[in-house]
Amino acid sequence: MKLSKNFTNPLAANNPVIVQILGICSALAVTVKLEPALVMGLSVTFVCAFSNLIMSLLRNGIPSRIRIIVQLVVIATLVIVVDQFLRAYMYDVSKQLSVYVGLIITNCIVMGRVEAFALANKPWDSFVDGVANGLGYAFILVLVAFFRELFGSGELFGITILGDWYTPNSLMLFPPMALIIIGCIIWIHRTLNKDLQEK
Amino acid sequence: MAINKNSNTYIIIYTVVMVVIVGALLAFLATSLKPMQDANVLNEQKVSIMKAFGEAELNFDDVVTIGRLNGGEFVAVTEAQDVADVFALLGNRKALSEATDSLPIFKFEKDGATKFVLPIVGKGLWGDIWGYVSLQQTLDNVMITGIVMDHAGETPGLGAEIATETVQKMFEGKKLYNAEGEFAIRMQKGGAQNEYQVDAITGGTKTSDGVNDMLKTSIGKYESFLRATEVAAEADTEECCSGECCAEANVELNNEEE
Repeated sequence: MKLSKNFTNPLAANNPVIVQILGICSALAVTVKLEPALVMGLSVTFVCAFSNLIMSLLRNGIPSRIRIIVQLVVIATLVIVVDQFLRAYMYDVSKQLSVYVGLIITNCIVMGRVEAFALANKPWDSFVDGVANGLGYAFILVLVAFFRELFGSGELFGITILGDWYTPNSLMLFPPMALIIIGCIIWIHRTLNKDLQEK
Repeated sequence: MAINKNSNTYIIIYTVVMVVIVGALLAFLATSLKPMQDANVLNEQKVSIMKAFGEAELNFDDVVTIGRLNGGEFVAVTEAQDVADVFALLGNRKALSEATDSLPIFKFEKDGATKFVLPIVGKGLWGDIWGYVSLQQTLDNVMITGIVMDHAGETPGLGAEIATETVQKMFEGKKLYNAEGEFAIRMQKGGAQNEYQVDAITGGTKTSDGVNDMLKTSIGKYESFLRATEVAAEADTEECCSGECCAEANVELNNEEE
């Protein structure tokens, strides 16, 4: 019961992007098209899940004075692993994501979950928590990218959806539009979840 | 006896072990994936060159002659190691921009017309810009038949437009030199006025200036070669100005114009 709540909570009620407002920078940068957004979301899910798992396994042996450094080393290692694999197997996507793969290290969601959850919970719970938070992030990225690619280029995954009659709205391709779309998602989310509204 | 996890000895041993494990892991990963990553980069270079030639569907290895410009002469490069050196130089933008001799150049012949692709490198507003330009000699000038450009971090929607087909298409058919024979091709603020100007990017003036500098310095290094063959083309036509020979020359010229 607790495990399933662990999993569903970050997807909606406590989504890292639209409730905790974390990881906004990359959400603005890589959501011009669906493919990089999806790969970015999955990369963050991978890093988040395995950094949580590894930190949870190590949690009883880590000297508390250097725990932030250990966290950074683990996260940075995982990010480099992802980056190297993307360069080898998905070169085009890796080029589109450019520096943002490396910047997963600084994504507050990853370190936030390690610090707040993995250091105090069992490995399996931590792993699930990492997957769920990563997917919560990926879901918002894909949602934003869906609207931006559809109305910005008239395409989805590079396949033309809206025909010649549609003039692509290039405003959708600019980062401010990503922020506005995220704003709208937050608005809808808060309307549906009354307990999130500040008095 | 319980270990004191906050003692200096424990912390030092802990970090050393951690760094050794992580270092070994990453070194292994980087070495084992390197061949594939290099192949990706090489493939991208070849595809870019074919795009510049305007023949993206053809296979680079089948149709292109790789060469270097030694003392103003096109020298074909065939040895595997030398070919690898050429591509390594293309990948090293700093070395490429500083190179003055033995410059890489690519030759492609089709329907009697010869096109050359040169690598171009320069600085945009925020970082490096680079690409490949395809040139063809005409009777009294040198024409751009295609260009591909990429950038490290120009402003999306403004300077970054140089990487789009819309901007690159505008270069096709433009001439390098003006009537006085000066190097004149440039992105012109306010719109192109003649056959050696291209519309600059609105809001991307600094990047457009960067493109102008890039074209001037990078193509400038090949100028003696481009000019020499250009003169040769002229001399050829002067020799045969009457009879059948002349008609043949005209046919060839028409082909080139196409």
